[in-house]
Amino acid sequence: MIFTGEFLAFMGLALVAIIGGVLLLNLNKVIHMVVALIFTFVAIAGIYVLLSAEFVAAVQILIYSGAITIIMLFGIMLTKHDDESEAKSGKWRKLFLFLGILGFAFAVYIGIYNFNVEQVPTKLHENNTLQIGEALYSKYIIPFELTSVLLLVALVGSIILAKNDKKKEADKE
Amino acid sequence: MELLNVYQNNYLIVFVFLCLGVLLPVVALYLGKLLRPYKPSDAKYTTYESGIEPFHDSRVQFNVRYYIFALMFVIFDVETVFLYPWAVAYDKLGIFALVEMLIFVAMLLIGLVYAWKKKVLRWI
Repeated sequence: MIFTGEFLAFMGLALVAIIGGVLLLNLNKVIHMVVALIFTFVAIAGIYVLLSAEFVAAVQILIYSGAITIIMLFGIMLTKHDDESEAKSGKWRKLFLFLGILGFAFAVYIGIYNFNVEQVPTKLHENNTLQIGEALYSKYIIPFELTSVLLLVALVGSIILAKNDKKKEADKE
Repeated sequence: MELLNVYQNNYLIVFVFLCLGVLLPVVALYLGKLLRPYKPSDAKYTTYESGIEPFHDSRVQFNVRYYIFALMFVIFDVETVFLYPWAVAYDKLGIFALVEMLIFVAMLLIGLVYAWKKKVLRWI
Protein backbone atom coordinates (compact mmCIF):
# COMPACT_ATOMS: atom_id res chain seq x y z
CA MET A 1 0.00 0.00 0.00
CA ILE A 2 1.37 3.36 -1.00
CA PHE A 3 0.87 6.35 1.26
CA THR A 4 0.12 9.00 -1.28
CA GLY A 5 -1.61 12.24 -0.41
CA GLU A 6 -4.76 10.96 -2.07
CA PHE A 7 -4.78 7.85 0.12
CA LEU A 8 -4.30 9.88 3.28
CA ALA A 9 -7.03 12.30 2.24
CA PHE A 10 -9.40 9.43 1.52
CA MET A 11 -8.65 7.81 4.87
CA GLY A 12 -9.23 11.07 6.72
CA LEU A 13 -12.49 11.76 4.91
CA ALA A 14 -13.78 8.23 5.37
CA LEU A 15 -12.91 8.40 9.06
CA VAL A 16 -14.78 11.69 9.48
CA ALA A 17 -17.78 10.28 7.60
CA ILE A 18 -17.93 7.12 9.72
CA ILE A 19 -17.37 8.98 13.01
CA GLY A 20 -20.12 11.39 12.02
CA GLY A 21 -22.48 8.49 11.36
CA VAL A 22 -21.65 6.78 14.65
CA LEU A 23 -22.06 10.03 16.59
CA LEU A 24 -25.40 10.57 14.84
CA LEU A 25 -26.60 7.29 16.31
CA ASN A 26 -25.07 7.72 19.76
CA LEU A 27 -25.57 11.38 20.66
CA ASN A 28 -28.53 12.27 22.83
CA LYS A 29 -29.48 15.76 21.75
CA VAL A 30 -31.13 16.06 18.38
CA ILE A 31 -29.30 19.22 17.29
CA HIS A 32 -25.97 17.54 18.03
CA MET A 33 -27.07 14.66 15.83
CA VAL A 34 -27.74 17.07 12.97
CA VAL A 35 -24.28 18.61 13.37
CA ALA A 36 -22.73 15.12 13.23
CA LEU A 37 -24.78 14.44 10.10
CA ILE A 38 -23.43 17.62 8.48
CA PHE A 39 -19.90 16.40 9.14
CA THR A 40 -20.75 13.15 7.38
CA PHE A 41 -22.22 14.99 4.40
CA VAL A 42 -19.22 17.30 4.05
CA ALA A 43 -16.80 14.36 4.29
CA ILE A 44 -18.70 12.56 1.52
CA ALA A 45 -18.48 15.73 -0.57
CA GLY A 46 -14.73 15.61 -0.01
CA ILE A 47 -14.65 12.03 -1.30
CA TYR A 48 -16.51 13.20 -4.43
CA VAL A 49 -13.83 15.85 -4.91
CA LEU A 50 -11.18 13.14 -4.66
CA LEU A 51 -13.02 11.26 -7.41
CA SER A 52 -12.85 14.37 -9.63
CA ALA A 53 -16.62 14.77 -9.46
CA GLU A 54 -16.54 18.45 -8.64
CA PHE A 55 -20.12 19.20 -9.56
CA VAL A 56 -21.52 16.32 -7.53
CA ALA A 57 -19.51 17.57 -4.55
CA ALA A 58 -21.00 21.05 -4.91
CA VAL A 59 -24.47 19.55 -5.17
CA GLN A 60 -23.79 17.41 -2.11
CA ILE A 61 -22.92 20.52 -0.11
CA LEU A 62 -25.81 22.54 -1.52
CA ILE A 63 -28.58 19.95 -1.27
CA TYR A 64 -27.56 17.65 1.55
CA SER A 65 -25.74 19.82 4.05
CA GLY A 66 -27.94 22.77 3.10
CA ALA A 67 -31.46 21.78 2.25
CA ILE A 68 -31.81 18.31 3.77
CA THR A 69 -30.38 19.55 7.05
CA ILE A 70 -32.97 22.33 7.10
CA ILE A 71 -35.71 19.79 6.44
CA MET A 72 -34.42 17.73 9.36
CA LEU A 73 -34.30 20.76 11.64
CA PHE A 74 -37.89 21.56 10.72
CA GLY A 75 -38.79 17.94 11.38
CA ILE A 76 -37.19 18.24 14.82
CA MET A 77 -39.16 21.38 15.55
CA LEU A 78 -42.37 19.61 14.52
CA THR A 79 -41.88 16.68 16.85
CA LYS A 80 -41.99 16.37 20.58
CA HIS A 81 -38.66 16.32 22.32
CA ASP A 82 -39.46 15.01 25.76
CA ASP A 83 -39.73 11.42 24.59
CA GLU A 84 -36.74 9.47 25.76
CA SER A 85 -35.77 6.24 24.18
CA GLU A 86 -35.02 3.52 26.65
CA ALA A 87 -32.15 1.21 26.09
CA LYS A 88 -33.55 -2.29 25.89
CA SER A 89 -30.78 -4.48 24.68
CA GLY A 90 -30.27 -7.96 25.95
CA LYS A 91 -27.06 -9.89 25.70
CA TRP A 92 -28.34 -12.09 22.89
CA ARG A 93 -29.59 -9.13 20.94
CA LYS A 94 -26.18 -7.50 21.03
CA LEU A 95 -24.51 -10.75 20.00
CA PHE A 96 -26.83 -11.21 17.04
CA LEU A 97 -26.33 -7.59 16.03
CA PHE A 98 -22.58 -8.03 16.15
CA LEU A 99 -22.81 -11.22 14.07
CA GLY A 100 -25.04 -9.42 11.57
CA ILE A 101 -22.57 -6.55 11.26
CA LEU A 102 -19.71 -9.02 10.79
CA GLY A 103 -21.64 -10.88 8.11
CA PHE A 104 -22.50 -7.67 6.32
CA ALA A 105 -18.91 -6.45 6.45
CA PHE A 106 -17.71 -9.80 5.10
CA ALA A 107 -20.24 -9.76 2.27
CA VAL A 108 -19.31 -6.21 1.30
CA TYR A 109 -15.61 -7.08 1.45
CA ILE A 110 -16.11 -10.09 -0.82
CA GLY A 111 -18.26 -8.08 -3.16
CA ILE A 112 -15.97 -5.07 -3.41
CA TYR A 113 -12.46 -6.51 -3.22
CA ASN A 114 -12.33 -8.07 -6.67
CA PHE A 115 -15.02 -5.92 -8.21
CA ASN A 116 -14.03 -5.16 -11.75
CA VAL A 117 -14.98 -1.72 -12.89
CA GLU A 118 -14.36 -1.10 -16.54
CA GLN A 119 -12.02 1.84 -16.59
CA VAL A 120 -12.76 4.44 -19.19
CA PRO A 121 -10.09 7.11 -19.53
CA THR A 122 -11.78 10.41 -18.88
CA LYS A 123 -10.72 13.87 -17.92
CA LEU A 124 -13.45 14.66 -15.43
CA HIS A 125 -11.47 17.30 -13.61
CA GLU A 126 -11.39 19.54 -16.67
CA ASN A 127 -14.57 21.61 -16.88
CA ASN A 128 -16.61 19.12 -14.93
CA THR A 129 -19.81 21.13 -14.93
CA LEU A 130 -19.58 21.82 -18.64
CA GLN A 131 -19.24 18.12 -19.40
CA ILE A 132 -22.22 17.29 -17.22
CA GLY A 133 -24.26 20.04 -18.86
CA GLU A 134 -23.47 18.80 -22.35
CA ALA A 135 -24.29 15.19 -21.48
CA LEU A 136 -27.42 16.01 -19.55
CA TYR A 137 -29.03 18.32 -22.09
CA SER A 138 -28.25 16.37 -25.21
CA LYS A 139 -27.89 12.68 -24.42
CA TYR A 140 -30.01 12.27 -21.28
CA ILE A 141 -32.80 14.67 -22.07
CA ILE A 142 -35.74 12.36 -21.33
CA PRO A 143 -34.63 11.50 -17.77
CA PHE A 144 -34.07 15.20 -17.19
CA GLU A 145 -37.61 16.10 -18.23
CA LEU A 146 -38.94 13.21 -16.16
CA THR A 147 -37.12 14.72 -13.19
CA SER A 148 -39.23 17.84 -13.54
CA VAL A 149 -42.37 15.68 -13.38
CA LEU A 150 -40.98 13.94 -10.30
CA LEU A 151 -40.29 17.27 -8.60
CA LEU A 152 -43.79 18.46 -9.48
CA VAL A 153 -45.31 15.32 -7.97
CA ALA A 154 -43.20 15.77 -4.82
CA LEU A 155 -44.30 19.38 -4.48
CA VAL A 156 -48.01 18.72 -5.02
CA GLY A 157 -47.93 15.58 -2.86
CA SER A 158 -46.28 17.35 0.06
CA ILE A 159 -48.83 20.16 -0.13
CA ILE A 160 -51.74 17.70 -0.19
CA LEU A 161 -50.36 15.76 2.80
CA ALA A 162 -49.69 18.85 4.89
CA LYS A 163 -53.03 20.41 4.00
CA ASN A 164 -54.90 17.28 5.07
CA ASP A 165 -53.23 17.44 8.47
CA LYS A 166 -54.37 20.98 8.88
CA LYS A 167 -57.97 20.13 8.04
CA LYS A 168 -58.00 17.33 10.59
CA GLU A 169 -56.63 19.69 13.22
CA ALA A 170 -59.37 22.18 12.41
CA ASP A 171 -61.96 19.41 12.73
CA LYS A 172 -60.59 18.48 16.13
CA GLU A 173 -60.86 22.04 17.30
CA MET B 1 -1.81 13.66 -15.59
CA GLU B 2 -0.24 16.88 -14.44
CA LEU B 3 -3.58 18.65 -14.51
CA LEU B 4 -5.08 16.24 -12.01
CA ASN B 5 -2.41 17.18 -9.49
CA VAL B 6 -3.14 20.85 -10.02
CA TYR B 7 -6.82 20.13 -9.48
CA GLN B 8 -6.20 18.24 -6.27
CA ASN B 9 -3.74 20.77 -4.91
CA ASN B 10 -6.28 23.52 -5.44
CA TYR B 11 -8.50 21.77 -2.94
CA LEU B 12 -5.83 22.08 -0.27
CA ILE B 13 -6.89 25.70 0.09
CA VAL B 14 -10.50 24.57 0.52
CA PHE B 15 -9.33 22.12 3.15
CA VAL B 16 -7.44 24.82 5.02
CA PHE B 17 -10.51 27.05 5.01
CA LEU B 18 -12.68 24.16 6.20
CA CYS B 19 -10.31 23.49 9.08
CA LEU B 20 -10.30 27.19 9.98
CA GLY B 21 -14.09 27.22 9.90
CA VAL B 22 -14.34 24.23 12.23
CA LEU B 23 -11.54 25.30 14.56
CA LEU B 24 -12.57 28.94 14.94
CA PRO B 25 -15.75 28.36 17.01
CA VAL B 26 -14.14 25.50 18.94
CA VAL B 27 -11.08 27.56 19.91
CA ALA B 28 -13.13 30.69 20.58
CA LEU B 29 -15.58 28.88 22.86
CA TYR B 30 -12.78 27.01 24.65
CA LEU B 31 -10.79 30.19 25.24
CA GLY B 32 -13.93 31.85 26.57
CA LYS B 33 -14.38 28.97 28.97
CA LEU B 34 -10.77 29.30 30.13
CA LEU B 35 -10.90 33.04 30.66
CA ARG B 36 -14.29 33.63 32.23
CA PRO B 37 -14.85 33.17 35.96
CA TYR B 38 -16.88 30.14 36.95
CA LYS B 39 -18.96 30.68 40.09
CA PRO B 40 -22.30 28.95 39.63
CA SER B 41 -25.21 29.48 41.95
CA ASP B 42 -28.85 28.40 41.76
CA ALA B 43 -30.16 31.91 41.14
CA LYS B 44 -27.93 32.31 38.09
CA TYR B 45 -29.35 29.23 36.43
CA THR B 46 -33.00 30.23 36.58
CA THR B 47 -34.58 31.35 33.33
CA TYR B 48 -35.13 35.09 33.21
CA GLU B 49 -38.73 35.93 32.38
CA SER B 50 -39.23 39.52 33.53
CA GLY B 51 -39.44 38.54 37.16
CA ILE B 52 -42.20 36.02 36.62
CA GLU B 53 -41.53 32.49 37.80
CA PRO B 54 -40.90 30.39 34.68
CA PHE B 55 -43.40 27.63 34.05
CA HIS B 56 -44.09 25.11 31.28
CA ASP B 57 -41.59 23.97 28.68
CA SER B 58 -39.61 26.49 26.66
CA ARG B 59 -40.03 24.44 23.47
CA VAL B 60 -43.19 24.62 21.44
CA GLN B 61 -44.32 22.35 18.67
CA PHE B 62 -44.21 24.15 15.34
CA ASN B 63 -47.03 24.28 12.88
CA VAL B 64 -46.87 22.02 9.83
CA ARG B 65 -47.12 25.09 7.64
CA TYR B 66 -43.47 25.96 8.16
CA TYR B 67 -42.51 22.49 7.02
CA ILE B 68 -44.09 23.12 3.62
CA PHE B 69 -41.86 26.14 3.20
CA ALA B 70 -38.82 23.96 3.90
CA LEU B 71 -40.02 21.32 1.42
CA MET B 72 -40.59 23.90 -1.29
CA PHE B 73 -37.17 25.33 -0.59
CA VAL B 74 -35.63 21.90 -1.18
CA ILE B 75 -37.53 21.40 -4.43
CA PHE B 76 -36.51 24.76 -5.84
CA ASP B 77 -32.99 24.15 -4.63
CA VAL B 78 -32.90 21.01 -6.77
CA GLU B 79 -34.21 23.06 -9.68
CA THR B 80 -31.34 25.50 -9.22
CA VAL B 81 -28.90 22.60 -9.32
CA PHE B 82 -30.27 21.64 -12.73
CA LEU B 83 -30.05 25.21 -13.98
CA TYR B 84 -26.38 25.45 -13.09
CA PRO B 85 -24.82 23.00 -15.64
CA TRP B 86 -27.29 24.28 -18.22
CA ALA B 87 -26.05 27.82 -17.77
CA VAL B 88 -22.41 26.73 -17.93
CA ALA B 89 -22.88 24.66 -21.11
CA TYR B 90 -25.34 27.09 -22.69
CA ASP B 91 -23.03 28.27 -25.46
CA LYS B 92 -22.49 24.74 -26.72
CA LEU B 93 -26.08 23.56 -26.50
CA GLY B 94 -28.08 26.02 -28.53
CA ILE B 95 -31.80 26.67 -28.83
CA PHE B 96 -33.01 23.11 -28.18
CA ALA B 97 -31.64 23.14 -24.63
CA LEU B 98 -33.32 26.48 -24.05
CA VAL B 99 -36.70 24.97 -24.97
CA GLU B 100 -36.01 21.97 -22.71
CA MET B 101 -35.17 24.22 -19.82
CA LEU B 102 -38.29 26.30 -20.44
CA ILE B 103 -40.39 23.11 -20.21
CA PHE B 104 -38.58 22.20 -16.99
CA VAL B 105 -39.17 25.60 -15.41
CA ALA B 106 -42.78 25.63 -16.59
CA MET B 107 -43.39 22.27 -14.90
CA LEU B 108 -42.18 23.66 -11.60
CA LEU B 109 -44.13 26.86 -12.15
CA ILE B 110 -47.26 24.71 -12.27
CA GLY B 111 -46.32 23.44 -8.82
CA LEU B 112 -45.73 26.96 -7.57
CA VAL B 113 -49.07 28.16 -8.94
CA TYR B 114 -50.75 25.15 -7.32
CA ALA B 115 -49.16 26.03 -3.98
CA TRP B 116 -50.26 29.62 -4.44
CA LYS B 117 -53.84 28.65 -5.22
CA LYS B 118 -53.96 26.31 -2.24
CA LYS B 119 -52.92 29.28 -0.08
CA VAL B 120 -49.87 27.49 1.25
CA LEU B 121 -47.64 30.48 0.70
CA ARG B 122 -49.60 32.74 3.01
CA TRP B 123 -47.59 33.65 6.08
CA ILE B 124 -49.72 34.08 9.16
